Amino acid sequence: MKNMPLRIAVIASIPALVFVVSLVAGPHMISPFTNDLVSREILFSIRAPRSIVALLMGMALGASGAVLQGILKNPLADPYILGISSGASLAAALGIMAGAAFLGTFTIPLLAFIGALITGGIVGIMGWKRGGLWPERLLLAGVGLSFLFSALLMLFMSISSDEGLRKAMLWIFGDLSMSEWAKIPYGAIFVGIGVTISLFRAKALNALILGDEFAHSLGFSPHRERFLLFVSVGLLTAASVSLGGMIGFIGLLVPHIIRFFIGSDSRLLIPCSALIGGALLCVADIISKAVLPPMELPAGIVTAIIGSPYFLYLLRRKNVLSI
Amino acid sequence: MKTSKNILWFRCLPVLVAVLIARILPGVACAASPERIVSLAPNITEILFAIGVQDRVVGVSSFCDYPEAATQKPRVGGMSNPSLEAVVALRPDLAIFSIDGNPKAFEERLRSLKIPTFTLRAKRIKELPEGIRQVGAVVGAFSQAEKLSMELEQKIAALEQRQRATARQLQGAKSKVLFIIWPDPLIVAGPGSIADDALQMLGVENIAGTTRSPYPKYSIEEILRRAPDVIFIGKGNGMDRVSEGLIRRLGSVPAVRMRRVFYVSDHLYRLGPRTIQGVEELAGYLAQ
Repeated sequence: MKNMPLRIAVIASIPALVFVVSLVAGPHMISPFTNDLVSREILFSIRAPRSIVALLMGMALGASGAVLQGILKNPLADPYILGISSGASLAAALGIMAGAAFLGTFTIPLLAFIGALITGGIVGIMGWKRGGLWPERLLLAGVGLSFLFSALLMLFMSISSDEGLRKAMLWIFGDLSMSEWAKIPYGAIFVGIGVTISLFRAKALNALILGDEFAHSLGFSPHRERFLLFVSVGLLTAASVSLGGMIGFIGLLVPHIIRFFIGSDSRLLIPCSALIGGALLCVADIISKAVLPPMELPAGIVTAIIGSPYFLYLLRRKNVLSI
Repeated sequence: MKTSKNILWFRCLPVLVAVLIARILPGVACAASPERIVSLAPNITEILFAIGVQDRVVGVSSFCDYPEAATQKPRVGGMSNPSLEAVVALRPDLAIFSIDGNPKAFEERLRSLKIPTFTLRAKRIKELPEGIRQVGAVVGAFSQAEKLSMELEQKIAALEQRQRATARQLQGAKSKVLFIIWPDPLIVAGPGSIADDALQMLGVENIAGTTRSPYPKYSIEEILRRAPDVIFIGKGNGMDRVSEGLIRRLGSVPAVRMRRVFYVSDHLYRLGPRTIQGVEELAGYLAQ
């Protein structure tokens, strides 16, 4: 592709730009140099942590989507297909029903994170055969578990008359409004670990996409690489669900959009998907706050509404690149 | 304009329903008041118990948890998804619906099975006494319903009188109030909700009164900007623990600084005999 360094520079600068805009813009514009106490508080304790959480979450979704489509060799894979988010929702719902509030506002994110990790573990065990993980097994195990956990969640929701549970579960459908500084370090650590693993194994992912035999001949152990990448996807998805529930579109379609611009090389695809995923969620969050103030729309709806038409436009204009 | 039209409807409805009952069940309807009543909503159950016809209630929704005795009645399912079989199996001669929360289609289904129905259309606190009278009329408990309605009307009048007196004292300065239904994600009481109605009756400004939904998801930024003087937090499972984080983040808002954040009971969650107590409770906190 032409002008690769320029393309990458543009992609890398978008999140920074969006972050600055997200601080200034909203239902009301705030100058970053304001001296008004309320405005400063809104800027530093409401908008800044919220935008950072949006960036982290979007990065996690974009990167894990790119990795997962590679290891499963399936263009329809997204981070939620492995059932990790359903497991997270179920764990959170069970905790709320049991009256768990031991950590105050941290309770739901922590329960969701634990639920996500346990589900990831089960999917891993189900996908394991003859000394390694197999893409088809992983995919089917994930879909199966996802159905099971969603059904259990629906069952609890429909037999429970606890209004609190119903309201708390709104969070599952994507909510960034409760983002605060205290949640960021935990989120950042797991997103950081996940992105780092996937970046270091990106070359191996390239080889895996070409086939296990090919990876073998290049000196990679397919089972070991798949396992490491699967762990990174698990961590990224768990961290993103625990930061702000489920946000659709990003994990599935951002990697495809990036492929239109920089190709399928995982070494570039993973970081660029992360950056654009983060930027897109941040933009969606700005819009969700600004459309009907003082009400807020769920950010996940906005990501899909602004992202899907653009994706469809690209699909018509450009050649579809394989994974 | 709209209310007067509504009121006209309320006046006509009991008559219409009576006619309907008479047509569907010739012989029975003329004879007596319904003996097997199914209530599909918690506020209706509360009204039925308050006007003393609890012995004739043979089924309630699974949300009906007040008074305590209501939980002993057979359940017919949720408000939005009651079980048709469960209702029919109870052989009711009247099923009472609430306009808020019960599906219209379900009522039509029951009618097609020749089970008489009545829908309580009251949505605002001021419509409640009239609604109770209508329920009293369809179940044949006129005097008790009249007594309860009068009582509520007196309380409403007293509240309004007190509010007018304070308004004169304050000369138009309204305190700004926010009623939080659930803190995470932040759901508040907007226009059309009973809590908003109560705040209007008390002559205070609901800072979420400009939203378009009765239970909007609200922006924390806007709470900081609109700086409410009083925050009410509704009842729920471990509400104080869940709200901790939110209150911490609202540290600079006058309500939090002046310690005017109050956890209130669930009286304002349903439009029934306890609603006025809920308004009085808010009035008590506001007077502090």
